[in-house]
Amino acid sequence: MGKGAIKTDIFWLQNHWRNQWHQRYWKHIIESIRRTFASFTMAGRISLIGLLLIIFVAIFAPFVTMHEPSAISGSSLVPPGPEHILGTDELGMDIWSQICYGARMSLVIGLAVSLISGVGGGILGLLGGYMGGNWDKLLLRAIDITMALPSFPLLIVIAAFLNPNIVNVILVLVFLSWARPARIVRSSALSMKKQQYIISARLNGAGSSYIIRRHIMPEVLPILFVSILNIASYAIVAESGLAFLGLGDPTSKSWGMMLHYATSFRSIYFTPYWQWWLIPPLVALIFLLLCLAFVGRDMERVIDPKLRMGGRS
Amino acid sequence: MTPLLQINDLSVDYLTDENGGYFRATDRISLTLEKGEMLAVVGESGSGKTTLALSIMGLLPENVSVKGSIIFKGNDLNSMPEEDKDTIRWKEIAIVFQNSLEVLNPVMRVGDQICEPMIKHLHLEEDEAKKRSSELFGLVDLDPVWLEAYPHQLSGGMRQRALIAMALSCQPDILILDEVTSALDAFTKAKIADLLIRLQKDFGYSMILISHDISFLSSLTNRMMVMYAGRAMERGDTDKMIDHPLHPYTRGLINSTPGIFLYRDLWGIPGEAPEGEVPGCPFYSRCTQRIQQCKTSCPDLRPVDIEREVACHLGGVVTLLSASGMNYSYRMPDGKMLDAIKDVCLDISEGEVLAIVGQTGSGKSTLAHMLAGVMGSGFGEVLFKGNRMNGERYGSHYGGIQIVFQDPVNATSSRFTVLDAVKEPLDINNLERLDERIKLVKLALSSVGLPCSDEFLNQFCGSLSGGQRQRVALARALIMKPKLLIADEITSSLDVSTSANVLRLLKGLQNSQGFAMIYITHDLMIALKVADRIAIMERGRIIEIGNSHQVMLHPHEEATRKLVEAKTNRGGLIPGG
Repeated sequence: MGKGAIKTDIFWLQNHWRNQWHQRYWKHIIESIRRTFASFTMAGRISLIGLLLIIFVAIFAPFVTMHEPSAISGSSLVPPGPEHILGTDELGMDIWSQICYGARMSLVIGLAVSLISGVGGGILGLLGGYMGGNWDKLLLRAIDITMALPSFPLLIVIAAFLNPNIVNVILVLVFLSWARPARIVRSSALSMKKQQYIISARLNGAGSSYIIRRHIMPEVLPILFVSILNIASYAIVAESGLAFLGLGDPTSKSWGMMLHYATSFRSIYFTPYWQWWLIPPLVALIFLLLCLAFVGRDMERVIDPKLRMGGRS
Repeated sequence: MTPLLQINDLSVDYLTDENGGYFRATDRISLTLEKGEMLAVVGESGSGKTTLALSIMGLLPENVSVKGSIIFKGNDLNSMPEEDKDTIRWKEIAIVFQNSLEVLNPVMRVGDQICEPMIKHLHLEEDEAKKRSSELFGLVDLDPVWLEAYPHQLSGGMRQRALIAMALSCQPDILILDEVTSALDAFTKAKIADLLIRLQKDFGYSMILISHDISFLSSLTNRMMVMYAGRAMERGDTDKMIDHPLHPYTRGLINSTPGIFLYRDLWGIPGEAPEGEVPGCPFYSRCTQRIQQCKTSCPDLRPVDIEREVACHLGGVVTLLSASGMNYSYRMPDGKMLDAIKDVCLDISEGEVLAIVGQTGSGKSTLAHMLAGVMGSGFGEVLFKGNRMNGERYGSHYGGIQIVFQDPVNATSSRFTVLDAVKEPLDINNLERLDERIKLVKLALSSVGLPCSDEFLNQFCGSLSGGQRQRVALARALIMKPKLLIADEITSSLDVSTSANVLRLLKGLQNSQGFAMIYITHDLMIALKVADRIAIMERGRIIEIGNSHQVMLHPHEEATRKLVEAKTNRGGLIPGG
C-alpha cells in the first residue's frame, strides 16, 4: 500500500466524520471504515477483532457462561474441566464467568472515563483554543496543574478516602485524565483558527458554530479519537490497579479484583491454583490492553500524516 | 475672442433605409478650436471620429442628416450652400487622410496631384504651383525629385508626407489629420510628429488630430476629447487626462495603448461597442461601475474641474475604497510596541489595479488584512463604496471585498472537495438554490481555467497541486462577484511558470470582470506587469504612490530608487529607456 493510498484514506476518514455531521452518505461511512481497516497492520487487525470479541463477550456474558459469576457453583479451586472451563476460585465461583462479567467492568470504566474526559476535555479545549482570552489562560493553568499531579499515587489516596464504588472510580479517573485531550484539542483549534481558509470563511460571514462544526470538528475528531483510546487503556489499568491494591469495590466482579483475591491467597504460587485463577484475568487484561494499544497505534499512524500537515506553519 | 471653429451639438445620422432607419454616427458633439491650438480626438474605430472630421470638411455622403452647427469664422458651415463650402474646403480647412494608396490617384504623378488644389482654389499658374510644390516638399522633408513619382513608388511615410504637403498647399487655417500615423512605424511616426510640431510652431496652424493612438497624441496636443459610439465621453487637458483619466472608457483606452505604461502588459477593453441606438450610456455594457441609471439615461458632458468635462452619471471613475489613518501595532516579546502600519492612507478606484510593493516585513500583508477586515475594526477609517466599514464582513455578500492569501496549501481546506471549497461562501450565506450553486461553482472554475467535470469537483483540495489550489481559492473568491479583490502575494509560493499563468489569469479576470484589485507583492517587476498604480511600502508606511511607470522611471524616494535599481541591475534592464 503506497503513501498516496494512506493519504486518500485520511481524507476518506475525515470525510466520514464530516458527513456524519450531515447525517448523510452512510455508504461513505462504511466505506471509510473499510478503508481505515484496510490500512491497519496485521497486529492492528487482530487487535480490532480481539477488541470486538471482548466487547461481544462482555455484552453477551449470560449467554456464553453457564454459571453466575457470584454464585458458588462448585467446590472451591476446581481445576479447568468440562463443568468449569477455567475452574473455580477458593469460594467455588466459576472463573470463566468472572472473566466474562469482569470484562463488563473494565469496558464500562474504560468507555465511561474515556468518553467523559475525551468529550468533556475536548469541549473545554475547543472553547479555550477557539475563544482564547482569559478563559484560555485559565484552562491552560488547569491543564498544567492536572498534568503535573502524580496521577497514580493521587488516585490511591483519593480512592482510599472515597467510597470505592464504580461511580467514584470513574469520577476520579476522569478528573485525572481530561487534561490530555483538552490540551490536544486546544492546540489544534488554536493553530487551526489562524488557517487562511478559516479566515476566509470568517470573512465570508461564517459564524463560530459554522467554523467549529464544519472546519475544526472534522479536523480534531480523529486526533481526539486516538486520545480517547489511550485514555481507555489508562482507565482500565488504573481501575485494575486500584482493585488489585484492594481499593476497588469488593462486591464488584472485575479483573483487578480477581487478581487481588488470587494474589491475596496465601502461598498461591506453591499450589497449581495460580494456573487457572491468576493467569486468566492477567491474560485477559493484557490482551485487552494490547488490543487497545495496537488499535490506537494504527489509528495514530493513519492520522499521522495529517498531524504533520497540521503542524506545518 | 471667438474661437476659430466652434461645433455645437453636432449630430450626424446615416440613413440606412427609406423607412427612416438611421445610424447615429455622432451624437451632440460640441467642441471649440482656438487659433493655433492642437486638439486631439481619440476613440476606438467606429466611435465617429472620422464622421466628425468629414462633417467639418463638408464631405459627408448624401444619405446623412446633420443637426447642429459648425461655425467657422462666424459662418455656419452646415447651412452653407455647396459652392461656398468649396471656397472654404482646402483653402481654409484642409484634411490629411489616413495614408493609403486609395487616397492618391494611382495614375497621376504626386506632383500633379499637389498642384491640382492650388490651381483650382488659389488660381495659380501651373509653373507657380510646381514651384510651390517643391517648397512644400522641402517643408515636409521630402526631396522634390519625388514630385515626379507615382504614388505606389513612395513609401508609406513618404506618402503621408506628400498628403500633408497637399493639405498645406493652400495654407489653410485648420488642418484636420485623420489617423495620419496609424499605419506607420514608430520611427516614421516620431518624424511625422516632429514635422507637425514644427509646422504648428512656424506657421501657427490649428490642428485637429484624430487618432486612436494616445501616445502619439499626447506628445502633440494640449487638449483632448475622447469619443465613444458617437458621443464625447471626456474632454480636458491631454496630460492630465492621461495621468488621471476620469471616465472608465478613457482609462480603458489608455490601458490598451502601448507606450504609456512601458512595462505593463496590454489589456483591451472587454466587450464591443453597442450596435445601434441605446437609451442609456453607450458604454454601459462595458463599464465596471454601471448603475441602474446608466442603463436608462444617457449622461451629458459635465464639468468636473477647470477645463475638464466628463460624461458619466457618477462623475467619472468612482473611489471604491478609501482608507485613512490606518494604524496597527504588534506587541513585541519585550513588551514594546512595533508599528506594523503607521498612518496609512490609500484610495482605490473602481476597476483599478493597485500594487502594494515592499520588502518582507514592510507591513504590506498586514495592510491588506486590515482592509479585508481580518483584524476587525478600530485601526483606522475604511470607507467602502462610501459606507464606513466597522469590521463588518464585506465578503459576505455579492459585490464586496474578497481576499486570496499567499499560501496555496492553506488557502483551502484539504478535507474539502473542490466543489465544497468553492461553494462554501454561498453555503455560509445561503445564497442561491442548491442546484444553482453548483452551476455557479462550475462557472467560476471554468473562469479560472480549471476543469468542471464531476470527477474534478469531487476531488479533495489536498490532492491538488499548488497552482491548482490557488486557482480554486481564486474561484472561491470570484464566486462572490467581488468589487474589490485583495491578492496577497498569491504567486510567491508558486514556481515561475505556474506563477506567470496564475498572474495572467488573474489580470485577465480583473480586466474582463472589471473588479478593482489590490495586488500585494514584493516583486516590483510583477507589480509593473499588472498594476495601474503602485504604492511602495517601507516600515509600515506608504512612502510613494503613483502611476506605475512614474514610480518606475522617476522614483522620488531613495528607498524606491534602491528597489528599482536592485531589480533593474540584476534583471539587466535599463531604466528610463
